[in-house]
Amino acid sequence: MEKSERRLIPQKSNSFSFSSHRNKLQRTLSLGFINPNSNEKKTAEFLKNHIKEGHKNKKSENEPNNKNADNAEEANHILKFATLLQEIDLFLATVNDLEQPAEPPPELPEPVISKFLDMVEKVITKYCSGDEPWVPEDDDHPLLATINRVAIINSEIIKHYSNSKYTRIIDRSGSILHRCMVFLEDEFHLLLLEDHNANLCCIIPPPPKETEGNSEKPSLPYTSKIVERLRGIADSMISAGYVTECCQAFATARHNAFRSIISSLGYERSSIDDILRMPWEALEGQIPMWIKSCQHTIKEVIPCERELVEKVFSCNSKFSSDFFQNLAREAIIYHLTFPEAVVMTTQSIEKLFKVLDMYETLKESELLIDSLLLSEGEADDDPSLSYNLDLKSEVKSTRLYLGEAAVAIFCDLERSIKDDSSRSAMPGGAVHPLTRYVMNYLKLVCEYKNTMEHIFKEHYKPAHHNDDAADDNNNPFAAELTKLMDLLNENIEEKSRLYKDVSLSYIFLMNNGGYMGQKIKGSEEISMLLGASWARKRFSELRQYHKNYQRETWTKILACLKDDGLTVKGIVQKTVLKERFKSFNSMFEDIHRTQSAWVVSDEQLKSELKISVSAVLVPAYRSFTGRFEQHLGSGRHREKYIRFSPEDIEKYIEDLFEGTPMSMPRRR
Amino acid sequence: MPATDYQGSSVPFASLGRSILSIRRDQVHSMDGHDPSTEQELESFQRRVSDLFADLSSSPDQILSLAWIRKLLEGFLVSLEEFRVILFNHRAAVTRPPLDRMVSDFFERAVKALDLCNAVRDGVGQVCQWNKHVEIVVQSLASWCEVDESGAKKTRPFGEGQLRRGKKTLMDLNFLIMDEKESASASHRNRSFGRSKDPHKSSSSSPSHLSSGVHFRSLSWSVSRTWSAARQLQNIAANLNAPRGHDVTATAGLAMPVYTISTVLVFTMWALVAAVPCQDRGLQIHFSIPRNGFVWSPALLSLHEKIVEESKRKDRRNANGLMKEIYQIEKSSHQLLELLDGVEMPMGEEKENQLKNSVQELENVCEILKGGLEPLERQIREVFHRIVRSRTEGLDSLSHGNE
Repeated sequence: MEKSERRLIPQKSNSFSFSSHRNKLQRTLSLGFINPNSNEKKTAEFLKNHIKEGHKNKKSENEPNNKNADNAEEANHILKFATLLQEIDLFLATVNDLEQPAEPPPELPEPVISKFLDMVEKVITKYCSGDEPWVPEDDDHPLLATINRVAIINSEIIKHYSNSKYTRIIDRSGSILHRCMVFLEDEFHLLLLEDHNANLCCIIPPPPKETEGNSEKPSLPYTSKIVERLRGIADSMISAGYVTECCQAFATARHNAFRSIISSLGYERSSIDDILRMPWEALEGQIPMWIKSCQHTIKEVIPCERELVEKVFSCNSKFSSDFFQNLAREAIIYHLTFPEAVVMTTQSIEKLFKVLDMYETLKESELLIDSLLLSEGEADDDPSLSYNLDLKSEVKSTRLYLGEAAVAIFCDLERSIKDDSSRSAMPGGAVHPLTRYVMNYLKLVCEYKNTMEHIFKEHYKPAHHNDDAADDNNNPFAAELTKLMDLLNENIEEKSRLYKDVSLSYIFLMNNGGYMGQKIKGSEEISMLLGASWARKRFSELRQYHKNYQRETWTKILACLKDDGLTVKGIVQKTVLKERFKSFNSMFEDIHRTQSAWVVSDEQLKSELKISVSAVLVPAYRSFTGRFEQHLGSGRHREKYIRFSPEDIEKYIEDLFEGTPMSMPRRR
Repeated sequence: MPATDYQGSSVPFASLGRSILSIRRDQVHSMDGHDPSTEQELESFQRRVSDLFADLSSSPDQILSLAWIRKLLEGFLVSLEEFRVILFNHRAAVTRPPLDRMVSDFFERAVKALDLCNAVRDGVGQVCQWNKHVEIVVQSLASWCEVDESGAKKTRPFGEGQLRRGKKTLMDLNFLIMDEKESASASHRNRSFGRSKDPHKSSSSSPSHLSSGVHFRSLSWSVSRTWSAARQLQNIAANLNAPRGHDVTATAGLAMPVYTISTVLVFTMWALVAAVPCQDRGLQIHFSIPRNGFVWSPALLSLHEKIVEESKRKDRRNANGLMKEIYQIEKSSHQLLELLDGVEMPMGEEKENQLKNSVQELENVCEILKGGLEPLERQIREVFHRIVRSRTEGLDSLSHGNE
């Protein structure tokens, strides 16, 4: 930097010092720009750099090591051009020094302007012909700065329109400016096509974004060099008054890029008609793709487009925000059609989870949109504010559709439970498929606990309104869940009545209750939602079933082992004793045969049952046999009545509830 | 009334999201299924629809203008809303045959309108884009007529640069409009960017200057190559017949509003497709409306005839859309282009006046579109939402009506 400054000073024997010229020029350029929105300081800075480059180039032409004969003509040309530039800048500085518009305006240095325009025309013709591509980085003449001068000259000499002697030069500068603008528009368009995302997307799917780690900032679709060039062209076109052309070219290209990015994400826009006709299996497969596309769009594409437009159009914030809002609206409404259509398909229980996934995606999107759209301190009267609110309400309304559908689907489970009235009992008292289905379903639903709670608070209107239902718990989801569990219990109790054997009906109740308890214990969410008192109530019910079972099955057999009625005046009644043993044996055999076929699949419950049975039966039997076996004599006669040792009893109890009918050998 | 139920909410669409259940809660005591004023209610609905079509026919030269289309949509929304109230007031009757079948038949038609809404919204976006070019033409050619520093009304001669700019933009615009015409048939639809994949290669081997409007060509955004607005319209209109006498008696007259709203729906969608560019436009649908069967039928049928006539006019047969403003853009821009083609500088006073007139015409259209397209797009979106909402409610009341 320092070096080039030093080199610049002695290079030319001009009548004015370069530094004062530069100051004037800087002022000229900064004031002379047409677009009031342009970021003047930045623009001037940009141009200043280009002008410096121009001087540097000119200097290097004077260097002795560059005396190549082929280059001599060109060097001369460049030298002439640089001189011309300085004269033009001097004119522009003079015009700008006038405090007020002079009447009549100062004379135009027509020959200089004319020559300058000739030069510009040559350059622009060269580039337009395509013989030589324009590469701004090794630009002989800083083209944009030159074009900017044409624009300023043009706006300056137009003031002379009433003077007919200038008509020709006015027309000329106008048409050359137009040619420059057409050229820049083409360049702008070609640069915009260098979108590496869009080009990549045509061939291979985009790399998974997650692997890029925590780099929060989305990467722009262009290299910073291209962004800089785009910005230069945009500045130039806007200051020349070609703002709509420039903005349109940009908007079209970026909308197209957005569309091709979206199509490359795998989610294809389908018509609502098609979605409604699609079988659920096919539709289900589309949902993750939709989610991916929606998230990618909102997290990556939209912020990235915003950054890009703000960089390229830093001098036109009105367009930046208009463009950004339009794109966001297109992108978001594009993604809303799908969930809207899914909600319209016939609802069924298995759709709940996908609906919830979509709901969560939109919920998250809403927050992101909030921060995206409403981040910059917008005034209340800013029309874009209502625009943004409108877009937000679009997302919200679709989310509400989904929420409503989720509530309806979930509450439909009530009906499914009520309507499940199979007339045949589960063999062996095993866990009923309904219990399994409902519990596993609820467990999955409760993985969405927070979302479900949120949705229920938003939508749930109990069918029997004005009941105490609304007040007994301010968590309507938990209330609905409790209601479902109660309904399931009722249904299971109903089903237990299908068993003729009362003991078996208790085993059935215990099995199902145990299964529910196990599932509830296994899910922190369900336990929390149902609450401790509910669990206690259920637990005591289970204990009651257990007791009832013991009473039903074992009370009668234990009565055989009682002393009552066995002795008359202290003498053991042998016939009664024999009868007692006989009935004990047959009862025990019966129980063993039937209940070994019963099913208790929960290991803990099973062993608890067996232990409790053993704990009552075995000591009673041991003591009874111990006290009375002597009265039965010995040998075969005795064995006829005392068929089991206490250890045998223990062993046979072990066979119970295994689901395989066992019979004990008639004789040992 | 449910119609007033969603006032005062800050979120317009969300408030529509209230389910019929909640409305029922609020209304259950004030409205008991059977209402002696049913006849009045149904009559007032017919009158409402009749007023709408009378209003739409009142100034024949405005038919298919942007303002007219917006009025039509507004009318559709109001009619739909009233229909919703009627369904609600007769929710018990709605669950009984044959009315249940008629109502669900209407909602099936309505759902088919949703895809049309989306396609037409895209078309409105397209017109919006064209209007940007009109804006440039006006900017470049009109600025010469009015700029003055002291405030005095002076006109400058047209400068050559601005004339060229105007001409280039007109050609771009022409390209875009023609391009849309070419691709309007479904078979040409899914093109990709109109340029080779490697822009640099092409720019170095051939002149990079692209004179036509390819810069502004939009990538196709349609749902699928085979989707057709014409076919969708036919589906919506299929088997729509006026209810027979015994159906009317069996439904206590309620078959009439169902048929009426279905017809309003079909006409509205048909007119939208007629007016706005969209994929595979076609206006061939069968309208079997008894000419004297309803108070609104003469007005509706005559509108239908006028629009069909318009579409058959020689200069409109290949139009992208019959919207009046699109026609004006095409007409004025052709005129301008012709004028500019033959122009020599300095141009004579007569030429200049012609030019100024055409620019003025274009400027008027441009202003109308600038102010009206965005609201139109929103209105179509609103139609979409309302259809979804009333369908959900309607089906809900069909399945739970007896509760």
